[in-house]
Order: sequence, then structure tokens, then C-alpha cells
Amino acid sequence: MIVGEQKPLEEIWEMIKIHKQVLVFGCNTCVAVCQQGGNKEAEVLASMLRMKATQEGVDIEITNSGIERQCEHEFFEKSEKEIQGSEAILSTACGIGVQFMAEKYAKPIYPGLNTTFLGAVEQFGVYTERCQACGNCVLGQTGGICPIARCAKRVMNGPCGGSTKGKCEISKDVDCAWQLIVDRLKLLGRMDDYETLTPIKDWSTDRAGGPRKLVREDLADE
Amino acid sequence: MKNLLPKVGINPERIEMFNLSAAMGPRWAEICTEFTEKIRVLGPSPIWFALKARKEKAA
Amino acid sequence: MSKETKTPSKLEKILAAGHLGVTSECGPPRGSDPAHIAEKAELIRNHVDAINITDNQTSVCRMCSLAVCIRLKTMGIEPVLQMVTRDRNRIALQSDILGAASWDINNILCLSGDHQSFGDHAKGQNVHDLDSMQLLQTVRRMRDEGKFLGGDDIQRPPAMFAGAAANPFADPYEIRVPRLAKKIAAGAEFIQTQCIYNVDKFEDWMKKVVDRGLHEKAYIMAGMTPMKSAGMARYMKNRVPGMDVPEEVVKRLADTPKEKQADEGIKICIEDMQRIKEMPGIAGFHIMAIEWEEKVPGIVEAAGLYPRPEV
Repeated sequence: MIVGEQKPLEEIWEMIKIHKQVLVFGCNTCVAVCQQGGNKEAEVLASMLRMKATQEGVDIEITNSGIERQCEHEFFEKSEKEIQGSEAILSTACGIGVQFMAEKYAKPIYPGLNTTFLGAVEQFGVYTERCQACGNCVLGQTGGICPIARCAKRVMNGPCGGSTKGKCEISKDVDCAWQLIVDRLKLLGRMDDYETLTPIKDWSTDRAGGPRKLVREDLADE
Repeated sequence: MKNLLPKVGINPERIEMFNLSAAMGPRWAEICTEFTEKIRVLGPSPIWFALKARKEKAA
Repeated sequence: MSKETKTPSKLEKILAAGHLGVTSECGPPRGSDPAHIAEKAELIRNHVDAINITDNQTSVCRMCSLAVCIRLKTMGIEPVLQMVTRDRNRIALQSDILGAASWDINNILCLSGDHQSFGDHAKGQNVHDLDSMQLLQTVRRMRDEGKFLGGDDIQRPPAMFAGAAANPFADPYEIRVPRLAKKIAAGAEFIQTQCIYNVDKFEDWMKKVVDRGLHEKAYIMAGMTPMKSAGMARYMKNRVPGMDVPEEVVKRLADTPKEKQADEGIKICIEDMQRIKEMPGIAGFHIMAIEWEEKVPGIVEAAGLYPRPEV
């Protein structure tokens, strides 16, 4: 799922303090899982901002609400009136939700989160990056571990010379993706695959090729 | 909670969670007394001062 | 036992003729004044067959390797263009290779490059459009097929002698030899190893390399870096990824009085070189003494590798 991290309170405050009324708007899917921008978090954030406003002596009405997902039109229906009645929105969704709202509403929509990565919940409270959405998945060749998302240099024929005791040269807290791949290939009895050269990647399906789009002709209306 | 409060300039000692059953009357009284004293020593919170300032400004 | 050569590279000719090759390394300046590096190259020119010019090593921004290699060519010195894939995409990489070839630079060392967080521009992007193995493939395709990666023909293909780095000491240990095999399959014709302090471990690696016949497919050059002090030994042991410095080496230096530690470090280097010289499969040495280039001639002579052969 998409992981984000709430922006520092000071930064958020600086963005919204110019308004007289702000709606703090949560998204209850991905960013609720990592406990950063869900409807509950939006409620708490609104409360903190009210306390901040009081102490700063700033006259601002801060309300809060939220929907299931901010990346699909239908979920906005029930909050339409509330949104239209607000001066500005502080969205605690990921960058997608913020942009989607900006496209829908002729109002200032501020990001309450820094969207960081696509990842998994390794354990409750620990979220780590797993996918870079490169558009051309190589997981079949690497035993199910992605060298693009998990290698700091996205080496396709790794490991590089900096791999030390299973950790990446950039930090002891980062696993060497290629150590993981080698371990996995060993586990699956496919160590011979290690010497197969991975062909040069076609990055045109990645961000490099431009903003991406998928259309299901059979599903999309005119 | 204790992590969030300092971000808005409030001493985290102002909030505490106690677990009690309805039968623990004396302990309840004890906690109330102790905590009230603690808060009394800490004095009014920044929010209290801010609200006071706002009221005075309006006056 | 003379092998055929594929490029005009002086380094290739020496190695092909069966001599032990000797290369060294210089780091470009952090500015646009070429004087200092020209001096360093001049200092060692007669004691080495070619000089590697590093490419923004440790991700610290320096004068580019290509510019320095060109200058060396004008001085009549044989350069090895080091190229990392961290900073350039495939267009720039191929472009720089052509630029180098236009100045008759015939040696290239293909590397991934240290992560930018190590250097002075940690906020920058990294590219890694290709990795070091794919860069080797690219160089060989440009030379042997005369084609760009995109498929078009290259007017006057670059005659590059392609090299790669190998680290016999990095983790995971079990793939160190398969990894070398992979680099050679990708196109590496010469290999420069990470600097060696654990000679036993290196010997073990070389035995495995020879067992697979890899020493006949590529020239293996042993990397050597003399220690300047016990402090340096400790730093390299503890702080540098992929480095294996045995405790005995640190102890030997630590037990030496401070003002004699540098000499002791050089002594260790020469002793190791003499031992490595005798190992089957060794084609030469790559002496890395960055900011200590003045010691290189002495090391080369003491290791019995002077004068350098003429080709």
C-alpha cells in the first residue's frame, strides 16, 4: 500500500494559518494503515491545530472529516456539501488524493502528508518499501525480491562491492537486496540463475517515460 | 498522546492513564488528589493563558 | 605465451605479451586547475603501464575523468578511463565513450559507483540507467558490433579494452567467483581487484578463479594499497564496506613507532606483492596510493617490476 508520513505540525500550520476556516480531511485506506492520514489521524491533527491556533491567538475554525478513499469519485459524494462549504481543505491523503481533490474542487487543497513509498507492513508499526512501479516486473527472475525498489543503486546484476554482512553500504539498517536475492535463490535451489545476465532495462515504462495511464477499453465509458 | 502534546507546546505530564475498577474507591481518591496537586504545581497550561489573552483582547 | 590483442591499448599489449602489468590510480582535483594531477601522473609515468583516473570517487564532485584522461594522452601517458553508472544515463555513457575514443583513449573500467550519500551531494539523484555489468556489455557491443544500444551503427567504433573491478572480500562470499565469471561473460577483459590485506583469503579466491579457468579469459590484476598508519588500517578495517583487514596487519602497524608506520605499511605492501606474484593466474598489479603517489615508483621497484616492458 501507499505509505506516507505526516508533515511536521509547524509546516502544516504555516500552510493553513492564512485561512479563516479549514477542513482537515482524512483518507481511510492506505494512509490509515500506516496510521498517518486516516480519518482518526485527521481528527487528532485537527485537534492539535486548534490548540496551536489558540496559543498563537489566531482566529481560525478547524473542522475534520474523512472518506474511505480520496482517489475515486464516488467516495466523495457523501462529503460533497461539507467540502463545498469549506474555505480550504487540508487533505491527509497521499499525494494522489490531494491532487484528485484539487482537480475536483476550485479551492486550496493542502497536503498534510509527505507521500513516501509503496510498501508492506512488515509488522505492526513498521512499513518498508517494496515496489517502485517500474512498469516491467522482474520478480520472476530474482526470486521474488525487487532490485529496483530495494537496492539503493537499483543494480540489476548485483550485489555491488559495498555489500557488507548482508547490509547495504548506505546504512546498517538497510538490507542488501542482492544478499536477499542470493539467499532466496539458494533457498529455491536456483543458484545457477545467479550467473544469468539481466538484460539492460527498458525504463520507458517507468517514470522516465512520462506520466503513466491505463485504460480498460471494455470498462471505460466514453 | 505523550508524543503529540509537546508538538503543541503542552507538557506531556498533564495527561496520564490510570487503570482502575469500580471497587477501588480509596485508590481513585488517592489518584485524584495526587494528580490534582501535580497539575496545581505545573500551573495553567499554555492553552489557558491563550484563551485568557483572547478574552482580554475581546473585552 | 602471447595472446592476440583487440585494441591499440598499450596495457592490453603488455598483458597479452605475458608480462605482469602494472597500473596505478590518480584522483582528479576538486577544481579546474589541472596542474596537480598532471604532476602526479608525471611522477609515476615510467613505473606503470597505465594510470586509472577515478570518476567522482566516493561521490565527491571532482573534475571529470574524461578531461584528465585526455590531458594524459597529450602528455604521452596511457590512461584508464574509469566510468561509474551512478551519474550518467546510457546516452551520456555511450557519448563519453565515443569522446574518449576520439582522443584514442583505449582503456575503460566499468563501475557502478559509490552511493551519492557518501559524498558532498547527498541530495542529488542517482541515475543507474545501467549497472556495471551492463556497461561492460555496452562497451563490447559498441566495439565488437559497432552499434549503439539503440541499434544504429557507430561511425568508427571505439576500440576500448574493457575492464571491471572485483572484490574478493565482499559479502556474500559464496558468489564472489560466480560474480567474476558473470563480469567476464558480460565482457570484462581485465580485472582490477579491491586492495588486498588478507592475502590468505585472496589466495583462496585466486585458486577458485583458476579452477574455473577465468584467469585465461581475463587478466586478473591484484589491487594493492600501502597503509600509511595504524589509524588508517583501523579505519579501513572498521569503516570501509567490502574491506578485509586482518587484525595482524593492524597490530603490526600499531606495534611500530608512529613515525615508522608509513615505512612499515609500504614494507607490508611489497611483501604481499612478492607473495601474490607467485600465485597462478595473476596477470599484474593495480597500485592505489591516492595522495601518496610519490611512493609508487619505490614500491614498483622493490617488487621487482621495474623497468616496465616496451611494446
